[in-house]
Amino acid sequence: MTTPARRRLMRDFKRLQEDPPAGVSGAPSDNNIMLWNAVIFGPHDTPFEDGTFKLTIEFTEEYPNKPPTVRFISKMFHPNVYADGSICLDILQNRWSPTYDVSAILTSIQSLLHDPNPNSPANYEAAQLYRETRREYEKKVAAIVQESWNDDDDEDDDEGEEEENNILNLMELDNVITNLMLPLFQSLLDEPNPNSPANNLAAKLYQENRREYEKKVKVIVEESWIFIGEV
Amino acid sequence: MESNIEETTPSFDPSKNYDEDTLAQQREIEKEIAATQSMVSQLYTFDEIVEEYSQEDAIYRQKIEDLKSRFKNLRKTRGDGNCFYRAFGFAYLETLLSNGKEYKRFFDIAQKSKDELVSLGFPQFTLEDFHDTFMDVVKMVEKPGTTDALLEAFNDGGLSDYFVVYLRLLVSGHLQQNADLYVYFIDGERTVKEFCSQEVEPMGKESDHIHIVSLTKALQVPICVEYMDREGDKCNSFTFNPFEGSADAADATPVFTLLYRPGHYDILYPL
Repeated sequence: MTTPARRRLMRDFKRLQEDPPAGVSGAPSDNNIMLWNAVIFGPHDTPFEDGTFKLTIEFTEEYPNKPPTVRFISKMFHPNVYADGSICLDILQNRWSPTYDVSAILTSIQSLLHDPNPNSPANYEAAQLYRETRREYEKKVAAIVQESWNDDDDEDDDEGEEEENNILNLMELDNVITNLMLPLFQSLLDEPNPNSPANNLAAKLYQENRREYEKKVKVIVEESWIFIGEV
Repeated sequence: MESNIEETTPSFDPSKNYDEDTLAQQREIEKEIAATQSMVSQLYTFDEIVEEYSQEDAIYRQKIEDLKSRFKNLRKTRGDGNCFYRAFGFAYLETLLSNGKEYKRFFDIAQKSKDELVSLGFPQFTLEDFHDTFMDVVKMVEKPGTTDALLEAFNDGGLSDYFVVYLRLLVSGHLQQNADLYVYFIDGERTVKEFCSQEVEPMGKESDHIHIVSLTKALQVPICVEYMDREGDKCNSFTFNPFEGSADAADATPVFTLLYRPGHYDILYPL
């Protein structure tokens, strides 16, 4: 069943694809339009530059009347980000306006990386270093920037964390596919290369029986709609 | 050092986000309210609500008697911080059902308001969504009819809340357009824009005098509010006249009347 929240999220997604703001990207997770994965690239001329920070955005049926819950999944070191990745940002709390969409949320968080607010600290150490020992702050941030690239191939000996990492890997993969590599994949869909087949049947049909190939593709096209209408 | 701090104040962990707990608690309260109160209710007589509204208080009981001598019915609205907007929206559209001329005037204002808000810097993409829904609800009263469909729409979260959002945006727009005038009526060291983003635009933020003045002026709709407070033995009625100070000031007959009890607005229907 489509609800106002889901309808609006589809609109948000469409707009994010058609008019993507610089340095942020996001998409609904594979089977749940109420849970999004997003990436914020560290803004230029900040210690966060070149970092690829992953986040989750969790919506309720009250969206857009109520803000979603946004959380960094990548490790973060910032005066306004809590240890669990949640963010202390007024527009996500008492200054939320229903006119904000996902695009506005992500760009606001991006500018928070640019301009931390050390007066309402969520991470006291980061706030203090930011105010008093900027060099030390930048060093700590540089470390999490590095870590942000490694999220996927981090091997951890702790078992609990390892499991968590696997989830991260999946999320990462999802993000990379939906956000970053989409243009590449799009052209691949346009022009398959049957000489290096990953799916032998598809390659064979593509070469020998185009009609059958198109029929099979049509089926998965229809399947791809299911998550949109009925989650 | 750190462990010492934790020992002396074990209940507060500075690295924990308490806002989320607060929000979760708030959500629970909202759910409870939503389960027990409709957004806009059926009509009640004063005899039906006298116990609830006076709660053994002689002054309120007396004031209900006063209302009874001038009004026939009352419609309750949900106490979710949006009651003023919802009461205003429903009561006003209800009067348009039997006033085609006023409908036309209002329709034009409502139609044009979108571009005005966009020019003030509201994001067009999301604003359009709210405006479209707002106009859909407005069009329900284009032709004379009963209130049944309107009541249903005002109890449909998707329509009713979007309608309230748009009224909030109209208030915000009016305040920002006349910022030099309203800046003196805002408490705290805040700009009008800050006030709007804190006290007007977020859903659930309650309305004060300044919000009512703005909405009646933005839409040019005079209204009356009966104040049921603890002073005097009758309700104090106050007319919000958007034409005040202009040549049309005298024509301002209130289009409908709201009842104010501290913190809440309902709709009154005259005898």
